[in-house]
Amino acid sequence: MTDTTAPVIIAIDRRVTLKWLMGALAVGQLAACGDGAKGLSWPELEAISATGIGKDPNLTDPVVPWPLTLTAAQLETTAELADLILPGEGAIPAPSKVGVPAFINEWVSAPYPDQHSDRVLIVNGLAWLDEESKVRNGVPFIRAEASAQKAILDDIAFKDKVKAGLEKPAEFFGRMRSLTLGAFYTTREGWADIGYMGNTPGTGDYAGPTPEAAAHIKGVIEGMGLKYTPA
Amino acid sequence: MAAWMLTKAGASVLMLEAGRDYNPDEAPMLNMAMDAPLRGINTPDKEFGFYDATVDGGWKMPGEPYTMAEGSEFMWWRSRMLGGRTNHWARNSFRMGEYDFKPKTRDGLGVDWPFEYKDIAPWYDRTEKLVGVYGSNDGLENHPNSGPGVLQTPPKFRVWETFLKAGGDAINVPVVAARRAVLTKKIDERSPCYWASGCGRGCSIGAAFQTTTSLIPWAKKTGKLTIATGAMVYEVLLDSSGKATGVRYIDKATGTHKEAKGRVVVLAASTGETARILLNSQVAGRSEGLANSSGQVGRNLMDTVGSSVSAYFPQLEGRPRYNEDGAMGLHAYIPFWDYKRIVSGEVDTPRGYHVEIGGSFGDPGMGVGGGLDGYGSSLRADVKRRYGARIGFTQRGEMIPNASSFCSIDTNTKDKFGIPVLKFNFAWADHELKQVKHFQNAMKELIDKLGGTLVSEPADPAKAISKGGEIIHEVGTARMGSDAKDSVTNQFGKTWDVDNLYITDGSVFASKAHKNPTITIMTLAMRSSDSIATRLRTGEL
Repeated sequence: MTDTTAPVIIAIDRRVTLKWLMGALAVGQLAACGDGAKGLSWPELEAISATGIGKDPNLTDPVVPWPLTLTAAQLETTAELADLILPGEGAIPAPSKVGVPAFINEWVSAPYPDQHSDRVLIVNGLAWLDEESKVRNGVPFIRAEASAQKAILDDIAFKDKVKAGLEKPAEFFGRMRSLTLGAFYTTREGWADIGYMGNTPGTGDYAGPTPEAAAHIKGVIEGMGLKYTPA
Repeated sequence: MAAWMLTKAGASVLMLEAGRDYNPDEAPMLNMAMDAPLRGINTPDKEFGFYDATVDGGWKMPGEPYTMAEGSEFMWWRSRMLGGRTNHWARNSFRMGEYDFKPKTRDGLGVDWPFEYKDIAPWYDRTEKLVGVYGSNDGLENHPNSGPGVLQTPPKFRVWETFLKAGGDAINVPVVAARRAVLTKKIDERSPCYWASGCGRGCSIGAAFQTTTSLIPWAKKTGKLTIATGAMVYEVLLDSSGKATGVRYIDKATGTHKEAKGRVVVLAASTGETARILLNSQVAGRSEGLANSSGQVGRNLMDTVGSSVSAYFPQLEGRPRYNEDGAMGLHAYIPFWDYKRIVSGEVDTPRGYHVEIGGSFGDPGMGVGGGLDGYGSSLRADVKRRYGARIGFTQRGEMIPNASSFCSIDTNTKDKFGIPVLKFNFAWADHELKQVKHFQNAMKELIDKLGGTLVSEPADPAKAISKGGEIIHEVGTARMGSDAKDSVTNQFGKTWDVDNLYITDGSVFASKAHKNPTITIMTLAMRSSDSIATRLRTGEL
């Protein structure tokens, strides 16, 4: 598994930054008109050419063979966003507490086509988020007040209410939501939250539904006027 | 199967395997998705996910290409490992029935098999008993019962399966116990299922059937089996009288070409590779390859018809949690039920399908947030409410052989070993597309009866249907028959042209019933091997 304590390899290349600066100049002009950062371009990034998993990896002692590529700042913004997407609640930890940002780093750094598309979306999206926050609030996303952060998310997080011109940021948010949920609910803490009770070897016959689960489905089926057959 | 049957009968067997040795102790039985790279998702390297047992295989293999004719699409799965695809199959084991062996007699399409169901029924019993198959005998049309005491007890239905059964009962669509090669009771040294661990990972406890925990070790124990791995067979050798004397292969470790000799040659290389070996074999004075006087080698390529729909059931929202892993596959399924309306003409497609269903409180994966909206505590509530409320329906249907679906040798392309590769032609016919439509309509009716909503409206059948080979049930390229003029082997897998050359894989299928082929491949292999053993004993071979 990914070593979350390993140093982050900063491999976002200079060309991206330069493209961003150019984009940001344009944004500055747009921002003056109160349009936020929506005029930014989303430049293509060079594909990662690291080694992949291969056709015959060791399945019981997996390793992630590719270097991680997000910067410390990008990881911080990722963590902030992940925790807004699925905030901790009571005993349920926030995504940043169970390695979700490190996983997203592993994901966007992988040398595969689907992950490359996500990398383009996410690296650009994180930059957009900061630029948007700077335009609106004068500070990067992680320094903004919670209410100001949510105001940005409210413009990109609901599919029927995406603010005009923010379709690309909305696509970015959708991917971050999907990756955050996937990464969180595959942890033991996520299993406890969603109620997954499997991956537990048992003996004898398969136990089947609990009395409570059986009674519930019996009620559902009979409530629909259908015939219930016990398992 | 052939190695086990023949060594048991006292013959010395050399097994040549193109891939590496494999021991199911390598299987990641209880490893979590979060311990795998990218949470174990499918990648171009591991196309069925990180934990899938397949070694050095998949749709695309470096240095081992195949080609496709213009306008054709075909996906060819390879597994280069001892035990091959048996290490990762779904273990679904549905017997073919009376109708399935005589399709041409019923509707005039395709060809009949060279025997009847009753001839093979006892062999199914022997195979199922040896393998260990759970299921029930429901006495349904064209879904034969097994003999007394053959099947193991199936696991209980889970809540969503009971729910589907209630809907099915109301509209006369059967939802019955599935049949799978998974032990629910201990046999020999193999343990019963412990109700966890995806079967596709390989099963180190031996509950989910694979040859590397059963037939191969048993054959080894006889002292009569020698296994050579990394041996890429590409040609059958003949003597001047036309008898097979052995095979030629590339020893992958050294890159050298070697020969192995034997009294009998049995090809069980998989449908594609077996056709490739035959077509690549040189026969003096002939250009069509080996055992191909009928011209049928490579022809009649069939795969299972696949398509799927998925629905969300508000009635299942927030249902009480419990462990639904079960046998990590089908406990229930929908066998084809509409035979009578095919005969009466009310159904416009000639052959049937079955439906595999999935909807458990499963191990959450990267798709857990699919289709969700917003963020914050309402998002968490949505995830939890929807968990276990979605059911997927997967069609597995019969394809009828057609003249546009075949494989041949691409003389312009060689693999990294220098062996000419296969070129695929593939096309579905109207029969299959109409069958997809029947499935879509039937599932909509069932979903509607249960108050569900489709996750998305099914696509037009031509778009919804799987690609050829995608279901990994390809069969038919060296079909058996009762006449040497239009088939490659007789009913015992013996090639008509070469008396001591046998085929015991899916290439001998004369038709592709909707039933998953593995149990029938093994049953035919057992029957054919028994015939070989008898002929060896009597000195015929």
